[in-house]
Amino acid sequence: MIDAHVHVFAKVSSQFPRDVDEITPAETEATAEQLLQQMEDSGVEKANLVQIGGSAFEQHAYLLHCLKTYPDRFRGIGLVADPAHPEEQMDRLVGEGGVIGFRLFSIGGERDPLAPIDVRTFDTYKIWKHAAENDYVIWLYPPAAENHCVPFLLDAFPELTVVFNHMAFCPGEGSFSYDDKGRPHLELPIPPVTRYNTMGLHQYPNVCVKLSGQYAFSKEPFPYADLAGWHGALLRSFGADRLMWATDSPWILEEPGYGNLTRVIDTQLPDLSEKDKALIMGGTAQTRLFDRS
Amino acid sequence: MFEGALCGVELGRLQGAFDRAVDDCKSDWLDGIARGTTSAAHFDIPNPLVRDDAFIDLIDCPAWYPYLMDFADQELILIGSQVRTLPAQPISYVGWHADVPQTNPLHMKVQVYVEDVPADGGVFAFVPGSHKPDAGPCPKPRLYEAMPGHKTFPGKAGDAILFNSYGWHTSMVNKTTSPRKSIILIYEQWTEGRVASDRYAATADRMTTPERRRLFGLDPMRAEAS
Repeated sequence: MIDAHVHVFAKVSSQFPRDVDEITPAETEATAEQLLQQMEDSGVEKANLVQIGGSAFEQHAYLLHCLKTYPDRFRGIGLVADPAHPEEQMDRLVGEGGVIGFRLFSIGGERDPLAPIDVRTFDTYKIWKHAAENDYVIWLYPPAAENHCVPFLLDAFPELTVVFNHMAFCPGEGSFSYDDKGRPHLELPIPPVTRYNTMGLHQYPNVCVKLSGQYAFSKEPFPYADLAGWHGALLRSFGADRLMWATDSPWILEEPGYGNLTRVIDTQLPDLSEKDKALIMGGTAQTRLFDRS
Repeated sequence: MFEGALCGVELGRLQGAFDRAVDDCKSDWLDGIARGTTSAAHFDIPNPLVRDDAFIDLIDCPAWYPYLMDFADQELILIGSQVRTLPAQPISYVGWHADVPQTNPLHMKVQVYVEDVPADGGVFAFVPGSHKPDAGPCPKPRLYEAMPGHKTFPGKAGDAILFNSYGWHTSMVNKTTSPRKSIILIYEQWTEGRVASDRYAATADRMTTPERRRLFGLDPMRAEAS
């Protein structure tokens, strides 16, 4: 099994500087070694580490440290500090080894879907262009207000590997809060209304969707039965070779627990064939993330 | 397809009503998109029948209404009206599909083009013969153009297309730089209880003929048995 989306971070130090917020205070840590223990207890072999704690190059120090220490176990997704001049930081992070792509939380595009749209005017255009030219992955979690811009970028860069985060839900303004366990929670319709701009992207061969974050979007406790229909719709549209399971650790360690989440796909997609299950639980991530040069 | 079903003053009245409704409702639509509660892929005017009589008069337009009545054995009800703006975008918001199964009472739609819809402007497309009971399941080709036997319907402002919703259809990609403006009218052969008697109550004062009142479900379709 491969966990396609987890976060690791160290206590704040001069060696490992990072931003702090209410769920990652300076004295807290979620280390690679703690993650590896959870993974081993559940039979998970590899994981994709997604940068947290800031977008500056030096704030990637712990991510890079983990990737160098465990090159056979991890790949990494970085952040970009300056979308207007992203190329140097992107290349530098990839050059350090293990970083395969970059996460975007916004597009910086036209918010009116009826207005003329020119991707070259988007704030993040240079990131997409440089990623396409260098075969970097775009790890995408766009706001609902800008999700309609994504098809235009894929039209411009049709071969780009783009992985929609968290079941392709797109955060809406005012939808975010923390639940009583301190975890992110998003109050959005199920299925997401942004699907009308997302499901048709199956025609682009390298658009994938990550099956994770159920805890944040479901209105029910584990195993999040209200999301089963949406998982099925994603499977029918994209196919198992474009879906990746992930836990979003460490936010799920207390509830529902790492081990439980290794079985979440069994309840979300109960009729899955063994072949498709193998793809979702690691095969797709191996091909799309770990087998990249 | 009814070419020139609406023209002249009648078409101008509809275009004016459409544009006013878009102007009135657009900011709420954009707010809904930002909150993640409304789709950005198409912009439907809320409660259009309440908003302007031009949308009501479309429901029993003489160009297509007699055909609908004939197909429905003179017992026709209105299910809904979608006053829809479709943004230009590289993908379609909907794949090939049938709206209802064959077990549903006869279900029909009329799509009215409010402005010209060129071949690459998000045209309606249909697979002739796919409405028949032996058509089988709807194929799901990865590319819209790959649907075997499909026919597309570009048209001029005022043209209208009547189709059987058992059949496989879609909106092709709007590759232009202009949004597509059209109105989709949804009808069904009457069955008891299908439309609540208060569904269109807000428009009751404008339903001045018995036939219209039955069409809008305000009066019983059949006389009470004595």
